[in-house]
Amino acid sequence: MFGIDKTIKHGLNIIIIGCGKVGRTLVDQLCQEGHDITVIDKVSKKVQDVANLYDVMGVCGNGASFSTQIEAGIKDADLVIAVTGSDELNLLCCTIAKQASDCSVIARVRTPDYNEDIPYLREKLGLARIINPELEAAKEVARILYMPAALEVSSFAHDQAEIVKIKLPEDTILHELKIMDMGKRINHNILICAVERDGEVYIPSGNFELRGGDIMSFVGTRKNCARFMKEIGFDTHRVHDTLIVGGGKAAFYLADQLLRAGIAVKIIENDVKRCEELSTLLPEAIIINGDGTDEALLQEEGLATAESFVPLTGIDEENIMLTLHAKQVSNAKAITKINRISFKTVLSTLDLGSVIYPKYITSEKIIAYVRAKLASKDSNIETLYHMFDSRVEAIEFLVKEDSEVTSKTLLELQLKKNLLVCFISRKGRIFIPTGQDTIQVGDEVMVVTTHSGFNDVTDILA
Amino acid sequence: MNTSMIRLILGHVIRLEGFFLLLPCVIALIYKEDQLSTYLIIAGVCLIIGSLLSHKKAKDNVFYLKEGCIATVLSWMVLSFFGALPFMMTGEIPSFTDAIFETVSGFTTTGASILTDVEALCHTSLFWRSFTHWIGGMGVLVFLLAVVPMSGASHFNLMRAESPGPSVGKLVPKLRYTARILYIIYFALTIAELVALLIAKMPWFDALCISIGTAGTGGFGILNSSVGGYSTTVQWIVTIFMILFGINFNAYYLILFGEAKKAFQIEEVRAFLLIVLAAIIFITNDIRGLYDTLFEALTDASFQVASLISSTGFATTDFDMWPGFSKTILVLLMFIGACAGSTGGGIKVSRFVIVGKAIKKELHSYIHPRSVKQITMDEKEVDPSVIRSVNTYMITFFTIFVLSILIIALEEKDLVTNFTSVIATMNNIGPGLSMVGPTQNFAHFTDLSKWVFIFNMLAGRLELFPMLIMFHPAIWHELIVKGVRKKRILKNKL
Repeated sequence: MFGIDKTIKHGLNIIIIGCGKVGRTLVDQLCQEGHDITVIDKVSKKVQDVANLYDVMGVCGNGASFSTQIEAGIKDADLVIAVTGSDELNLLCCTIAKQASDCSVIARVRTPDYNEDIPYLREKLGLARIINPELEAAKEVARILYMPAALEVSSFAHDQAEIVKIKLPEDTILHELKIMDMGKRINHNILICAVERDGEVYIPSGNFELRGGDIMSFVGTRKNCARFMKEIGFDTHRVHDTLIVGGGKAAFYLADQLLRAGIAVKIIENDVKRCEELSTLLPEAIIINGDGTDEALLQEEGLATAESFVPLTGIDEENIMLTLHAKQVSNAKAITKINRISFKTVLSTLDLGSVIYPKYITSEKIIAYVRAKLASKDSNIETLYHMFDSRVEAIEFLVKEDSEVTSKTLLELQLKKNLLVCFISRKGRIFIPTGQDTIQVGDEVMVVTTHSGFNDVTDILA
Repeated sequence: MNTSMIRLILGHVIRLEGFFLLLPCVIALIYKEDQLSTYLIIAGVCLIIGSLLSHKKAKDNVFYLKEGCIATVLSWMVLSFFGALPFMMTGEIPSFTDAIFETVSGFTTTGASILTDVEALCHTSLFWRSFTHWIGGMGVLVFLLAVVPMSGASHFNLMRAESPGPSVGKLVPKLRYTARILYIIYFALTIAELVALLIAKMPWFDALCISIGTAGTGGFGILNSSVGGYSTTVQWIVTIFMILFGINFNAYYLILFGEAKKAFQIEEVRAFLLIVLAAIIFITNDIRGLYDTLFEALTDASFQVASLISSTGFATTDFDMWPGFSKTILVLLMFIGACAGSTGGGIKVSRFVIVGKAIKKELHSYIHPRSVKQITMDEKEVDPSVIRSVNTYMITFFTIFVLSILIIALEEKDLVTNFTSVIATMNNIGPGLSMVGPTQNFAHFTDLSKWVFIFNMLAGRLELFPMLIMFHPAIWHELIVKGVRKKRILKNKL
């Protein structure tokens, strides 16, 4: 007991400015990863709340002030993350932090005004990352709308590969079929990487038997995923129109994306001024001024016949109610955005279908960056997703140098249990590896695992 | 109530005590004393019980302030119980009450003794007695946090319950490293004193016991004359270290990181040093007539002042014979106590600083009724809830103080004895005046009074409220009634 314990790795010194919902989610997740965290917020109550809940140090003050940053230990910090409510403040915090020490900085910038300046800002201000949760959430919603039968769609390898999560119906043709026998029944080129059944998550091997009612995730290229879903009896047509309630930033980003893909968009927004703004920004969209929670209005605007329905109001409870209502009155694919509330167990009993959490999307991006920073030089985490309530991690590594994992076939490597190498992307071509394949320098390797805390591609070895 | 977590913490504490009990065994080996077997057996028992309790992991490792307080108080109780066993089993302190009194006095760094002849103890027991100070000084749970890997932020509640002072902060983001830094500073200072004493040609065993006794601001001597029998050099070294251990450890952390200037800007440290200086000057002036030279008077005055304000309780002279003015100053020093975040006891300088500022603010508001004035400390705004808790602390302190005096008074001893014996135990000092003066001891009290003192010592060390919460009916209701109900539900299910 007096010896060195291996449970706590030495983490990075991270300063988080802003203790809002994203700040807290970050503290929660980065704490679990074992980093030394200092939080800064103007409101002492918020700092205290966070310090009471997590093993972090709190500093009360203006995060953009040099002396506050010094007090929070900027000199020894490895990373500063600015997630206050204001974009400008976040950028200022990062600029000052960058001058104060040679740490990396990440800022949250979400106003569409800066959207086009992002590459410029990143380069000129020396930011490691700029995160925009609203934009990321919109992208995720759009991906689901392209494949409405899926519960979740996450993309890898520069949007070339996707992880698709679906719920198998009770009478699926895959019922009581072993994964290794699947090839005999249907023609497919995907890999099933995780299955949730009765609250347990499995990383399936060839002997795993699927059942109706399972929630499963599979990996493949976009085309192959669609083909597979068609084979097992899902409708794979993308939606043709969508009804959005609430005209916030996320709604704007989403509408922008969908319109470009040729999907008709209708937005219901309560504030006249905002409606006018939106109609200038999105000339092709139909903007309706009215209360989106008004049942009559929704009916009038054709909720019953809409193919998809996305409530994006600022109030989580409203979004949930709207989704439940839509499920009753129409067959529309509904996607619920949840910002704040944390009763995940309650939500999972509600049968909401697809749910997205912008705050988790943000923290996943940052954790991917932090892990990559911790890793030694020979590899790098490109993307990281938490799936099934953070019980499964999907990680994409870029292999930069030779190491223990390269130049041996996968069969020869002693891989950890509950781990699956899902695909390898080599020179822009994606393939699902067999035991005979090797990992080579320059590859992007995607693994799915129930272990957590992988920093380096060599972590996949037992 | 997360009882399995409390069980786990108690298990860790008992196991830790088992390890600690192995140290006196080393002393027993060196001096070839027969008590070796007794200490070994008790250490073994502690290790076994502790391992059994801490073997099974808790289902849920989240717990809140109340569980933190309960775990802390219970830890100190079992710690005292097992710590008292060696004294009873070696027959050196046969009475159960006396043995517990002596051990609690050790762990709470009080240094009040019921022994009439300290020198009769074997070396092993002498060392263990002094070593309890060292463990209790910085706190056993803080040590636990430093060495046992326990994840989760909930453990801050343990530190909060055990660390002295109105508000507890961290030095570095991780609690675990904060605890380690504190113990590293503590350990380094102890070694520094040990080396200084050895250079001053003190016998090694004496130097060791006095060092760990000073470090915890305890005060158990190993001679009947406390520190009076040693050379003037030794006395000065001990004086300096007593003051050092009474200073907020945050100051040392700042010095360690090259910000010595900031360390001396801490208002509490300044106030503490100022009080020490003023007291020394007044007392030296007052007792000058009793000594041949000014230097002798200064030596004794400084030693006594340092000893009492840091709540150590060593003595080099019988200050009960000093004139009234000096004695009054000493009694006042006992109340003030050391800095928050040090190993010392007492009400703490920072509380007095805050109360002083609150009084100033109140006066100000009489002159300018509409004025708005924030109380600040170290250029930081003091939260109104901290001020409120300081006020409540003071009131609670004096309520317990008065009630304790009433019970002690049942013995029909003189007022000074009653009064100072409670001061000396509640502030974790050790000696008082009159019948509990530096040359006296606590042996002549009845068992009832001794248990009152035991309560006072624990309450004083744990900053009252963790101790008092144990008597809150809601806690018992939760522990017993809900536990029974849970069992009944389980039974019904079967």
